[in-house]
Amino acid sequence: MRILIVDDSRIMRNIVKNTLQGLQYPAETFLEAADGDQAWSILETQEVSLLLVDWNMPGLNGLDLVKKLRATAKFQSLPIIMVTSEAAKYNVIEAVKAGVSEYLVKPVAEKSLEEKIRRVLDRRTP
Amino acid sequence: MNIRYILPFIEAVESAFGHLFHLQPRALTPYLVRKEEILDWDISGIIGIAGEAKGVVVLSFPEALALDLTAMLTGEAKTTMDDEVTDAVGELVNIITGNAKKGLEEFRLLISLPSIVLGHHHQITWPSGPIPIVTIPFSTTRGHFSLSVGLENIIIS
Repeated sequence: MRILIVDDSRIMRNIVKNTLQGLQYPAETFLEAADGDQAWSILETQEVSLLLVDWNMPGLNGLDLVKKLRATAKFQSLPIIMVTSEAAKYNVIEAVKAGVSEYLVKPVAEKSLEEKIRRVLDRRTP
Repeated sequence: MNIRYILPFIEAVESAFGHLFHLQPRALTPYLVRKEEILDWDISGIIGIAGEAKGVVVLSFPEALALDLTAMLTGEAKTTMDDEVTDAVGELVNIITGNAKKGLEEFRLLISLPSIVLGHHHQITWPSGPIPIVTIPFSTTRGHFSLSVGLENIIIS
């Protein structure tokens, strides 16, 4: 199980990582990227089971990364949770249309993160 | 002043500080900012707003509180205003502005990446034109800070 955390804020990446480690995900589970371009490079070269991605980032932003992934055959079923401060309904709709599996508004609550991850991983299980 | 458009920002501050720091900031009386005003703060995080309304959101702290909040996020004591502090303040103003959009959904708004101004008694270059800037001072048990919001046509009616 590899989880790729994509956020331009190192503090936010650490908060998400620490939250998941509190939920018994071991440290070696996590890969990190500071923007969509870095994330794309990792996804092209390494096996990733789940993507947690911020929306507003320099370079390739989270929404455009999701669109790029969904337009690529090998990533069409990759579970993606968008973790963002963008709380307006029209943002959620835009992200869902782009292909996110779940949407979580920052600040992240441990329970919500756990539920969203379980939901997207359960959905993937045949 | 149309308080309706200030409330989403106050609620976003309260929610973010409650979740991230277990603090309950108290909003004090808002006031209109003079654009040439020198701020009595040490660090400000700034987000630009575009879309159906243009404007700016500025979150400002004294050094001691910025260090304190960063330490709470990282779990390590902070004594200098380094990249972690600017990261924390940038992320905070991002969370507050993004969360406030939920209360302003009749306007489709886009938010910029945060930028940071550092330095004691710094000055903000506010958007030109007649955009009124409202500052909401907040007090917490760990110190004071402020959130300033200017949104063309919608903050003052």
